[in-house]
Amino acid sequence: MDQPIRIVLAKVGLDGHDRGIKVVARALRDAGMHVIYAGLWQTPEAVVRTVADEDADWLGLSLLSGAHMTLVPRVLDILKQADLANVGVIVGGIIPEADIPKLTAMGVAKIFGPGTSLDDIVAFLKTPREHKP
Amino acid sequence: MIAGLLERLRHGDRNALARLLSITARGEQLADIQSALAIPCEPSPVRGRSPSRVVAFTGSGGVGKSTLIGKLINLVRNLGRKVAVLACDPQSPLSGGALLGDRFRMGSSTDDGVFIRSLAAQTGHGAIADHLDVMIRLLETFGFDAIFLETVGAGQGDVEVRNLADVVVLMLQPESGDDVQWEKAGILECADVIVVHKSDMPTAEQTAAQVRAALDLSMGRSVPVLRVSTKANQGHAELWQAIEALPLRRRPASAALLLFQMAVDTLRQRFENRQQDAELRKLVEAWQRGEVSTASAVETLVRSLES
Ligand SMILES: Nc1nc2c(ncn2[C@@H]2O[C@H](COP(=O)(O)OP(=O)(O)OP(=O)(O)O)[C@@H](O)[C@H]2O)c(=O)[nH]1
Ligand SMILES: [Mg+2]
Repeated sequence: MDQPIRIVLAKVGLDGHDRGIKVVARALRDAGMHVIYAGLWQTPEAVVRTVADEDADWLGLSLLSGAHMTLVPRVLDILKQADLANVGVIVGGIIPEADIPKLTAMGVAKIFGPGTSLDDIVAFLKTPREHKP
Repeated sequence: MIAGLLERLRHGDRNALARLLSITARGEQLADIQSALAIPCEPSPVRGRSPSRVVAFTGSGGVGKSTLIGKLINLVRNLGRKVAVLACDPQSPLSGGALLGDRFRMGSSTDDGVFIRSLAAQTGHGAIADHLDVMIRLLETFGFDAIFLETVGAGQGDVEVRNLADVVVLMLQPESGDDVQWEKAGILECADVIVVHKSDMPTAEQTAAQVRAALDLSMGRSVPVLRVSTKANQGHAELWQAIEALPLRRRPASAALLLFQMAVDTLRQRFENRQQDAELRKLVEAWQRGEVSTASAVETLVRSLES
């Protein structure tokens, strides 16, 4: 039997809206995934610790505050330091078009903008990844 | 692979611990992990350390299990102990998915002395996830002094939880209209400590009195009933004191049981190797013809497996 995908969902940065991330959490649960909801206002360090302890396959970061170009690289960096570079990272939120290639070059697997359908996120996560351990 | 991971675990590698917990949760290579853990390794950080205290928190959904655990984590950390939490949430029987939201209520930290793992519990498998016994052994081996279990909140007396934990803390809340149900389901019997949580609510004292009355009626066992409010930050020190005052129930029973389990495995192996032995066949035939009693045939079989 296929093992359920484990994904940590977290909001980093200062904005306090969690509606979007909760909708995504439910959709992924209904698609058969095990969703660990880490909550709001997470520091990059705390997020990575959660990913490590939960032995997650994926990390979903939500950002609305505009600080993505500092926060996302920081998370990726700490993941690497924690020997967790194999964890796939997806990012949701308001990310300017121009920053998308920069973030993917840094190692983000996929960026989902405001208009993304939930089905697209599910389909992306369920596509087998080559570089998984 | 398991041997390597266990070796890393014994040297304090958190990622190895996390991976071993996943493998265990999936029910893979349980026998290997279990037998490796049963053998105290040299040099082992576990030796000479006092055994971990396993505390289960149970009670209906929304009673505040996660919030209270979050508070106790801080309290126990301030006493210099390391804490691990295994937090169970229900898994959907239809999709197999699960929304694991307990850790969000426990507060986040990067403290090395705190480890939280979220687990999905399948419906029909009781109030906790499968293979928790082995996970507890892994956390003990890693060196956690206190191990907290959060049940899915079925609120039912669960014998399995009682077998796994040294102390079972049953959480109730005011105005839940639960009182008849406690009696019916025998919930109170499974508890070592009873917490009336959210005692910031006005009818908490009434609920506590009802619980005490129900306890007096039933068993005459003295179970502490404590009022705690995590919101008002009250009662946690008293709760931890009550928990620590109780003996470590789990240890003697489960260590002996683990050894027994391995003895059973060994005997089964021997039996399977000898199924074709002439002596065994003679015994079975004699028993089937009624020439030896069942009791004596069993005795003979057990003795024949002695070596
Ligand atoms: N009034 C009051 N509310 C509280 C207290 N502690 C927790 N709560 C609230 O109770 C709700 C449920 O808390 P949780 O900690 O998620 O409860 P739980 O038992 O872990 O719930 P499940 O994991 O879903 O079974 C939250 O909205 C908390 O804010 C308290 O001491 N007083
Ligand atoms: Mg909870």
